Amino acid sequence: MVFHIAKKEFLNNLLSARFLIGFLLCLVLIPFSILINVDDYRDQMSQSKIDRDAAEKEMTEVRVFSTLRPMVVFSAEPLGVFGKGLSGQVGNQVGIRLGSKPLLAEGKTAARDNPFLASFFSVDFVDIAAIIFSLLALLFSYDALTREKEDGTLRLQMANSLGRAKLLAGKVVGILMTLLPVVVFCFLLGAIIVLASRDLVYSAGEWSRLILLALVSLAYLVFFVFLGLFVSSKSRGSVSSLVVCLFLWVVLIFIVPNLASTFAESFVPIQSRDNLDSVIADMDKGLDERIQAATDKLPPSDWNMNWWMFGGSDGERETYGCTASHFERNRREMALSEPLRLDNADRKWAPQKAYLDSLSRQARVAEDLALFSPAGIFRAVATSVCGTDRRAQEKRLEDVRRYRETFVSWLKGKNLFEKYEYITPTLPSAFKTRDQLVAARTGGRFKTQAEYDAWADKEPDFRKRWQVLSTVTLPGDSPEDYPFLKLGDMPRFLERPVSAADSMAASLPRLGLLLFECIFLFALAYVAFIRYDVR
Amino acid sequence: MWKTVLKREIQHNLYSLRFLLSLALILAVFIAGSLSFVRHHAADLDKYRVARDLAVKAVQTDAASGATNLAVNRRSYDLRPRDNGFLADAKEKYLPNSLTYSAWNVFGFANKSGSANPYLARYDELSWAFAIALLVSFAALIFTFDAVSGEKESKTLSLALANPVSRGALLFGKYASAVVSVMAILAPGVLVGLLILTLAGTVSWGWSLAAEVGACLLAAAFLAAAMSAFGLLCSVLARSSNVSLLLALTVWLLFAMVIPNSSGFLAKNVFPIEKAESVQKRVQQALDDLSKAAPPGSWMMNSNNPFLPQHELRANLMRKRMAAEKAIRDDYYRSMFLQFERTRRLTAFSPVAAFEFLAESIVGGGYPRFRRDWDDLHVFQGRFLSFFQALDAADPKSPHWFNPRESVSTTRQKVSPDVVPTFSERPMSFADRLGSAWPYLLVLAAAAALIFSLGFGLFVRYDVR
Repeated sequence: MVFHIAKKEFLNNLLSARFLIGFLLCLVLIPFSILINVDDYRDQMSQSKIDRDAAEKEMTEVRVFSTLRPMVVFSAEPLGVFGKGLSGQVGNQVGIRLGSKPLLAEGKTAARDNPFLASFFSVDFVDIAAIIFSLLALLFSYDALTREKEDGTLRLQMANSLGRAKLLAGKVVGILMTLLPVVVFCFLLGAIIVLASRDLVYSAGEWSRLILLALVSLAYLVFFVFLGLFVSSKSRGSVSSLVVCLFLWVVLIFIVPNLASTFAESFVPIQSRDNLDSVIADMDKGLDERIQAATDKLPPSDWNMNWWMFGGSDGERETYGCTASHFERNRREMALSEPLRLDNADRKWAPQKAYLDSLSRQARVAEDLALFSPAGIFRAVATSVCGTDRRAQEKRLEDVRRYRETFVSWLKGKNLFEKYEYITPTLPSAFKTRDQLVAARTGGRFKTQAEYDAWADKEPDFRKRWQVLSTVTLPGDSPEDYPFLKLGDMPRFLERPVSAADSMAASLPRLGLLLFECIFLFALAYVAFIRYDVR
Repeated sequence: MWKTVLKREIQHNLYSLRFLLSLALILAVFIAGSLSFVRHHAADLDKYRVARDLAVKAVQTDAASGATNLAVNRRSYDLRPRDNGFLADAKEKYLPNSLTYSAWNVFGFANKSGSANPYLARYDELSWAFAIALLVSFAALIFTFDAVSGEKESKTLSLALANPVSRGALLFGKYASAVVSVMAILAPGVLVGLLILTLAGTVSWGWSLAAEVGACLLAAAFLAAAMSAFGLLCSVLARSSNVSLLLALTVWLLFAMVIPNSSGFLAKNVFPIEKAESVQKRVQQALDDLSKAAPPGSWMMNSNNPFLPQHELRANLMRKRMAAEKAIRDDYYRSMFLQFERTRRLTAFSPVAAFEFLAESIVGGGYPRFRRDWDDLHVFQGRFLSFFQALDAADPKSPHWFNPRESVSTTRQKVSPDVVPTFSERPMSFADRLGSAWPYLLVLAAAAALIFSLGFGLFVRYDVR
């Protein structure tokens, strides 16, 4: 009997205008949303490639260890085509520095070429599915009982030996039989676009996550079918049932998620970024003072001159053509400064962590408040499955922080801060005294530094003093005279792919909540229908 | 006769379930939006004050260290959170809201770090503009989708037209009643919202605010008129209310969701601009060319003596480099502005998007505010440079070799921070607001008139049986 009712319901729905219009809506909006995001994905991929190539080039073309600063570039998440989550609003790379731990991703966001475009929101498959699936489910269920009551057919059916439970079950199955092909069609359409796109190649894991997403969509759909049935079983007429369903739809899909974020932002404030930057700047100033105090105690070098030097704010120092004494001074400075820099990074982490925690706390509250809406649950589960949610982003950053520790341990393990290799590729055996350097550079015009100084004191033209010292170009005075470092044993960052099991585990509580709500709503609909006046 | 229809329809609407639900929803959104604005506006102002104090401190430090440092060092001007943000947030949280300048140049703009939580998915704040754009447009369709098709189904349409009432009067009466009903729903929300904001002391009343509130309500009426016309058109197009509802919902999704959220895609594909990397390469090339062509000694810096002749060479080089970079970047910025403006014009085809842009203009926020500040800052930068050049001219110890990047070959005299010119944002004038608002107002008015006329044309031929 249930099958007969379901079949009748299915055929009625199939021939209705709402099925046609709903189907057309899906046919237009679903490919549109996926194509937009395939376009974005293509941009992200090409940007990642450019950034990764640049990072690789920068990292391999180093001659001293002090300038070695790996840049971690994240790959675009292929399932972001379905649910882009936060992927368009966070950066795509993180630089590894000794003086600070990675705080947030940097680099290019979706609005990389024009920052004004960040004010344009965009929709993805998950957003469209959240809107369309819920709307269709409500439109097919709002009058499941009221229409039959208005037509007088409900009373007729109940006059037979048909139980109310069977009738309700038949209606549910009939509506689901109507909607299931729509959902399957939407996902098939998505899958066809993925297969047809040359930029997207999904692994088995990604296909299984997509199937998981389809199952979550079904649960979401079922919720709204039950909601529509419940409203229908509590309403006297189709019009009032429709109006109530539509208002519930607007509230649950559009108002509650925005309300959740607005409330979280208003009542769970984040710390001031300017304040954090100011605190960090003060701590960096303190580091400079500590380094200065420590290095002031070192004996001075015989000639405070770097023939070629590059320095950076994170302790990068690359120097060539110094005297042996000045190389030694440089080496000892770095041996003192770099542990202090690492220590300062650890100290800075406390306020940075507090700031990060405030960001996470606010986002978490917004996510929790959004659970009041099934659309909030669906979006949270879907972005978790797609690997583009907050947790995935935080996990990536946590992995990068761990990688930084590994990198630092590698530098420490090789005792590099204490070595000349940290600041120059010149071998200690090739170091010269200042007299040797003056004699060699001036082509023998001056034998000693003292001779040169005596002449330079009388020479008012600053440039000439340097020109004399440049008479002979010495091998080893510039970076080009040395090969790049061999970094075969340097630890590399390995991006961990999101697995279907991870996604499932992370979203299980929310999915459980959605299923519980479904069962609860069905129970309510059933009870309401038992008490329904069919006359 | 249309007045009779209007009265009857308004009475019908007032007692309907949809009116009650719309009213409850509007009230809930306005109350929630107002309460949250009270909280987050105070927090935003605190953060702004922290940033402003740091900027003032930086000016004081630079002024004490010498006029050249004051002129050369880059500073940021952060846009203050607007007190009328409850009317329309204009997505300022996501737009560039920090401008970088020195006495020599206005360098660029950025969305300040910390403006928005990167872990919080982007969302629309519950401002009045959001509530109106979403709910008024929805309510307008809900009040009109079955105005004709519903009456046809219940057989009352043929009865009504059996009386001496013209089709035009009937349709216009229904149309006007929908607009009036929607505005009647909005009014309590606005009043409650204003009450909360006033009691919390977040807004200070004046003519300006009253005019902004009035203009927002007028814009809402235009939106309600445009969307009601669409609702009536759907109702006339369909034979049953089920179909007209689906058509109306499709229209709403298209205008409120699809078109506004396709803007980024449209911008990139319909109005593409040069990639940032390519611009950076061009800048680098221009700088390298100038450096290579510079006379020998232009890069020599190893002296603190301001009168070292090489400083003049370097000052000339730096000015040329800055001018070359500025020319490329300003050109790029212009292309960004154009891309953004053209995309907005294209999406203003949706009445909901047009209303949001209109509200942004009315409150003097968002993009028009940014553009005004961007232009004003350029004027200020000229004044700031003149101030510095006057200080330098008065210093006999300065060689007057202007270098926009280094503090070597111009005056190093200290300056009192009190006499240093500071940039402050001027309020948006009525003319500015009207200038950016009228195209969107026109779009809404034209949409209302055209779609209603189309609906009327179809209704005249409508089979009412």
